[in-house]
Amino acid sequence: MYVFLIIVSFISVFPLYWMVSAATNKSAEVISGRLIPGTYFAENLKNLLANQNVGGAFVNSVKYSVILTLVSLVVSSLAGYGFEIYHDKVKDAVMSVILLAMMVPFVATMIPLFQMFSTAGWLNTTIGFILPTISTPFLIMMFRQSARSFPHDIMEAARIDGLSEIRIFFQMFIPTMRSTYAAAMTITFMNAWNSYLWPKVIMTDATSQTMPMVVANLTQGYVTDYGMLMLAVLICTLPTAIVFFCLQNAFAEGITGAVK
Amino acid sequence: MKRKILAALLASTMVLSLVGCGGGSDAPAADNGAAATEEAPAAEEAPAADSGAAEEAPAADAAAGGSTLTVWCWDPAFNSNAMYEAEKVYQKDHPDFKLNVVETPWEDIQTKVTTAATSGDLSTLPDIFLMQDNAFQKNVISFPDVCADLTNSGIDFSQFAAGKTAYSVVDGKNYGVPFDNGAVVACYRTDILEQAGLTIDDFTDITFDQYLENGKKVLEATGKPLISMQAGECDLLMMMMQSAGASLFNEDGTANIVGNDTLKVVLETYKSLKDAGVLVEVNSWDEYISSMVSGDVAGTINGCWIMASIQTAEDQKGNWALTNMPSLVGAANATNYSNNGGSSWAVTTNCKDQALATDFLASTFAGSTELYDNILPSGALATWAPAGDSDAYATPNEFFGGDAVSAKIVDFSTKVPSNITGVYYYEARDAVAVALTNYINGADIDTELKTAEDTVNFNMGG
Repeated sequence: MYVFLIIVSFISVFPLYWMVSAATNKSAEVISGRLIPGTYFAENLKNLLANQNVGGAFVNSVKYSVILTLVSLVVSSLAGYGFEIYHDKVKDAVMSVILLAMMVPFVATMIPLFQMFSTAGWLNTTIGFILPTISTPFLIMMFRQSARSFPHDIMEAARIDGLSEIRIFFQMFIPTMRSTYAAAMTITFMNAWNSYLWPKVIMTDATSQTMPMVVANLTQGYVTDYGMLMLAVLICTLPTAIVFFCLQNAFAEGITGAVK
Repeated sequence: MKRKILAALLASTMVLSLVGCGGGSDAPAADNGAAATEEAPAAEEAPAADSGAAEEAPAADAAAGGSTLTVWCWDPAFNSNAMYEAEKVYQKDHPDFKLNVVETPWEDIQTKVTTAATSGDLSTLPDIFLMQDNAFQKNVISFPDVCADLTNSGIDFSQFAAGKTAYSVVDGKNYGVPFDNGAVVACYRTDILEQAGLTIDDFTDITFDQYLENGKKVLEATGKPLISMQAGECDLLMMMMQSAGASLFNEDGTANIVGNDTLKVVLETYKSLKDAGVLVEVNSWDEYISSMVSGDVAGTINGCWIMASIQTAEDQKGNWALTNMPSLVGAANATNYSNNGGSSWAVTTNCKDQALATDFLASTFAGSTELYDNILPSGALATWAPAGDSDAYATPNEFFGGDAVSAKIVDFSTKVPSNITGVYYYEARDAVAVALTNYINGADIDTELKTAEDTVNFNMGG
């Protein structure tokens, strides 16, 4: 039993280990399959910084991802809350239309979106990055599901005590649903951080590049420096890893939909 | 009543989602046919509109205090570096000139060009971008309003290798300035060959039959195959095809797979190499590179850019030698020269100062031996003939046993037969790669070629 689990966890952790150790080795050593950490870390870092605008890309990524995460949490949770608490036949129907929209692949809407954004002059802007994914059907559904377990009695009590609807949402719903928010935050942040296709299409300036673009740039040459590439991947992975580990417990609760 | 409303709603959502899906599948179709014809008139108007804009633009630019060109390309050590060097060369006579190089992977350049051209908003495109040679004709034909016609721009295209220039020519018009050389070289580990009693001369100007015989000797003496190739990729097939001037398409754009004798010879040659163990297939590009630099195989055949990867194995300095590739046996017009990869610079119609862009290219990539000398250390070899005569190209390369490999490769590149890539080059490549895999595993060659041609015809929409 444990042998099986140990094997499986080894398989899932190994790529992470290799990424870290490769970041400290020379490209030739990575190719030859060296697994032990080396002494080339500083050199890789120096090359990477000379080669790519990592600092700028990192700042961009953080800026876009944080803004997108915060805005989309507010918008999606308000929507999910509204759909559940004030639900009627029409709103349910609208909800199913939203869910159906999940099935339309992004590439199908990309070109019309690009047209709209370029007409609006939003290329190379933060708003251009965040607007298409500000509310996703998945997040709305997630918040709707969790609002279902939000006790109606408390709401009634709050209403009788004279709390306005919007304050019920902000002062009662949000604190109760912390774990759902944490899970949604993790998912949104990861998606925002890793998003590639859309930013690539609208961010045409060198100064608005994000971290995943920097990593992609490094794989393009006739010769790939694997040590440097792995270091870039490592830097690119760290923020999502930190967010995930910080919110790990809440994430597990949020996904299973528990309310304490 | 409620049910009816519900039914209507459901129906409308289904219609909506179908429209969504339809949009998705329509887009590629629009790429090849309808859009191309519809956009053609637009293309005729575009230059007119542009020239109007161009007349105003220099004034505006001058007012802004300089002449800056934006360039998209993808390799900091290679083509971006070449652009920066070109900037320095051009700045000597034009001190105000500036380049804004935006590093963009090739796949992303393709996505951006497709998005811009399909949405009709070309304003996001740069002034100049680098395009893979194999995709050049496809983009010019599918998106006729993206690339500017450079035929009468003052650039002397006759000084470039003819086989190279042909990639960026559509309907007799030049749309690209050739950049890096993709001439095929065969590299061998002389120390491994020695163990089998062979030298590099035994591999120069040979046929694939002799290559197979030599390969068997090396395998017997050292247990090492001569060459590794990525399974499911058909780089080597395409190099073999072009070495005999053969293509997967006819002049008129129709598929030329069934009844293509050269293709059949190529597939049979590949299989005999594989069956004898002289060629070994690996699973990924990284494994391919690794097999060469770690000495698991005795050499490789690829575009000359592969030398940059080989030379990372510093411990093998002096143990490598370079020569031309073997020629096909039983194919008409067989030669020892071919091409794989390489790219060319395109000027977009979005460029506000066409004159500046073409003058920049004409006086650097199509007119400066100094530039080519400066970028030679990065491995960028010219296809511009005058560059090959410079002293820098005659310098011996110690890694390759003191041979003047650069001059050799420029010489190779002038002998490469040209071929037809067309719009569906990548689709045809993929179809042939599938045919190859099945054929190696024992399927009938004619049936597989028929399937491949059907697949390509299906992709072409007829």
